[in-house]
Amino acid sequence: MTAASQPEQPRRSFLRLLAVVARRDYLRTVRRRGFIFGTAMLPAAMIGFTVLSTLFAPAMQPGPPPSLSVVNESAVAIRAPAGMQVALLDRAAAEAALGRGDITEFYVIPAGYPADPQVARVSGASSPPGIDQLQRHVAQEQALAVVLRASLVAGSSLPPSVGERLIHLFTILFVLSIFITSGYLLQSVTEEKENRVVEILLSSVPPGPLMAGKVLGLGAAGLTQVAIWVATALAALPLVVERVPALSGVSVSPTLLLLSFLFFVLGYLAYGAIFAAIGAIAPGTREAQQYSGFFGFFAVIPLIFAGAFFADPGSPLVVALALIPLTAPAAMLQLLAIAPEPPWLLMAASLVSLGTFALLATIGAARIFRATLLLYGSRPSISRIISAVTARG
Amino acid sequence: MALQHQPAAQPVLVEDVSKRFGRMEVVSGLSFEVRAGEVLGFLGPNGAGKTTMMRMVLDIIRPDSGRIEVFGGRPGLAQQQRVGYLPEERGLYRDVTALDTLTYFGSLKGLSGGDARRRAVELLRDLGLGDSLHKKAGELSRGMHQKVQVIATVLHQPDLLILDEPFQGLDPVNAQLLRDLVVSQRDRGAAVVMSTHDMNEAQALCDRLLLIDHGRRVLYGSLAEIRRGYASGAVEVVGEALPTEPGQLRSVAAASALDGMMRYTLRDGASAGDLFRELAGAGVSVSRFEVAAPTLNEIFIRAVARA
Repeated sequence: MTAASQPEQPRRSFLRLLAVVARRDYLRTVRRRGFIFGTAMLPAAMIGFTVLSTLFAPAMQPGPPPSLSVVNESAVAIRAPAGMQVALLDRAAAEAALGRGDITEFYVIPAGYPADPQVARVSGASSPPGIDQLQRHVAQEQALAVVLRASLVAGSSLPPSVGERLIHLFTILFVLSIFITSGYLLQSVTEEKENRVVEILLSSVPPGPLMAGKVLGLGAAGLTQVAIWVATALAALPLVVERVPALSGVSVSPTLLLLSFLFFVLGYLAYGAIFAAIGAIAPGTREAQQYSGFFGFFAVIPLIFAGAFFADPGSPLVVALALIPLTAPAAMLQLLAIAPEPPWLLMAASLVSLGTFALLATIGAARIFRATLLLYGSRPSISRIISAVTARG
Repeated sequence: MALQHQPAAQPVLVEDVSKRFGRMEVVSGLSFEVRAGEVLGFLGPNGAGKTTMMRMVLDIIRPDSGRIEVFGGRPGLAQQQRVGYLPEERGLYRDVTALDTLTYFGSLKGLSGGDARRRAVELLRDLGLGDSLHKKAGELSRGMHQKVQVIATVLHQPDLLILDEPFQGLDPVNAQLLRDLVVSQRDRGAAVVMSTHDMNEAQALCDRLLLIDHGRRVLYGSLAEIRRGYASGAVEVVGEALPTEPGQLRSVAAASALDGMMRYTLRDGASAGDLFRELAGAGVSVSRFEVAAPTLNEIFIRAVARA
C-alpha cells in the first residue's frame, strides 16, 4: 500500500484540494484560445489605434495645441486643461502685444459670457488670411472651445460629454469583465456536468472546496485578463491623449483603482455564486446561458439610468442602485468616477450589502451544488432548490 | 510525510440509514458492512436506492438519519482520498488529454502531481494506451474511454472501490479487464462494493450480496447462505411422461424443460417432498429427483416479488 491511500489531516486536505482545483481551472482557462484572443483584443486595439494614428495622422496633425491669448471680461474663471497654453491678458496688454507683433491675434470673452456666447477674435492682419492662417484659426477655436467648456464645469478638467462617454465606457468594460469572469465559472460547471465528470470530482472533493477552488482559479483568470487590460490602458493613455487632445487631463487615481478592484472582486463573487448555482441547476449549456442572461439585466440597470448619476449623484434612485447588491458594482463605479471625492458612507454601505450578499450567495450556491449537480438532464423543482438552500449543515 | 494508516478500521459500516427526496423515501433503515478483502455485490431493481446509498458512503449526499462510517470515521475528506469510484454516469473532459485528466484526478486523490502523472503513464501503457497518452479524450474510441475511466478509479491504489454498474456498456475485452481488476484489487486487500444487474457477474465475482428493494434490505449474506435459504425453491426431475404444465401439479408454480429434464419451481409453502409424493401418486416414472440450487437470478426475482 502506498502513502497515496493514507488519510491526511482534513484541514490540510481542504486547502490542498482547493489549491489543486484552483490551479488546474486557472491554467486550463488561460490556455484556452478564446481567453488568449479575448485578452489580446484590447491591447491589439490600442496598438492598432496608435499605429493607424501614426500612419495617417501626420498630414492632419495640428501639432501641439496652439497657444491662446485670451482677454477674459466675464465672471467665469478660465481653467486651462493640462497641456494647453493659455495666456490671460487684460485688454490693454493684449492690444499692446498685438501692436508690437508679439501675438497675431487674441480672443475676447464678453462680460455676459456664457449668457452672451459671442467670443470676439481680434487680429492685426489687414489682408485676407491664407490657408495656413485659416488652419491655425480653426485649431485655435477648437482649443478655445475645450478651454471654455472645462472652465464652465467646476472641478472637471474634461468637457462633460467626453467625460460621460468615458465613464460609461469604463463601466461597460467593468460590468463586462465581471460577466466574462463569472461566465468562466458557468462554463466550467456546465461542462463538467455535461461531460459526466462531476460525479468523479464530487467523490474526491466535497462541494465546498470544489466550488471555492473554482471561484478562486477562475476569478484569478478573470483578474489576469482585467489586469492586462488595465495595464495596457494605463500604458497607452499618454499616447492616446497625445493624439486626442480632448482627453487631456484624464487620470486614474490609485484610490479609484483600489475601490474598483474591491467592487470587481465582490461583484464577481456575487455573480459567480449565482452563475455556479445556475450551472448546477440548468439541464444544459443553452438553458444555463438563458438563465444567466436574465441576471445580466440587473448588472446593466445602472447604465440604463446613467443620466441620473450625472444629474444628481445623491438622488434616491442612485442610492438605491448603489445599495442593491446586484446593481452595486456598476452603480458604485459610476459614482466613484463622477464624484470628486468618494462618497465614503454610501460606499461602505454598498460594500457591506454586496459583501453580505456574496457570502450568502456562495453558501447557498454550494448547497445547491451538492443537491442538484447530479440531476443529469433534468431541472430540479423550485421546492428542492429552496430546501437545499435552507437546509441545515 | 509521516501519515497514519488505519488498516484495522472497517472499510464501510452502515447502520439504520434513511434518505428521503421530497416525499419519496429512497433508502429506508438500511444496515450493512463491507469488509476488507471482499467483494460485496449490491443488487436491486432500478430505483431501489443503490446509487443513492453509494453516494452517501462517498459523502456526495448526506443521509437524513442513521450512521455511516468509512474506515472508522464519518465520510469526509480523509475518507474520500482512500476510495476509488466508478460512477454509473461517467465521462472525461473531451478537450483534455487522457494523461492530463488522470493526473488531475490523481492529484485530487492525494497524489503529488509528479506521482499521479507517473502512475497514469504506467497504467495507460499497461492497458495498451501508450500511443494515446497525449490524445484528447474527444479523439479516443469508446473502449479507450472506458479504460481511462477504470484507470482513474484505481490510480491512487484505493482501499475501497465503489463501482456503480461497472459492466454497463463495456465491450467484452474491457469487461474482462474489469473482472481481472476487481479480483486483483480484492486480492491485495481492498474492499469492493459493486452494484450490478448482471447476475452472472455478481455470482462469479461477489463474496457476499446485499439485495435492496424500495430502499430496504431484502437479502444479505454470502452467496452460499442465501442459496441455502432458497434451496427448496426448485427441483430438477428426469423421468418419463413428466407433467409440463404447472397447473398439473398443485405444489408447482412454474415448470420448464431443460436439457432433457424438467425444472419445477415450487409454490411458497410447498416442499420437495410434496412434489415427490404428487409425482409418485400420478404414476410417473422418475429416474432422477434433485433439489436444485437456485440461480442468483431466480433468487433475485423471488426475493423482489416477495418484498
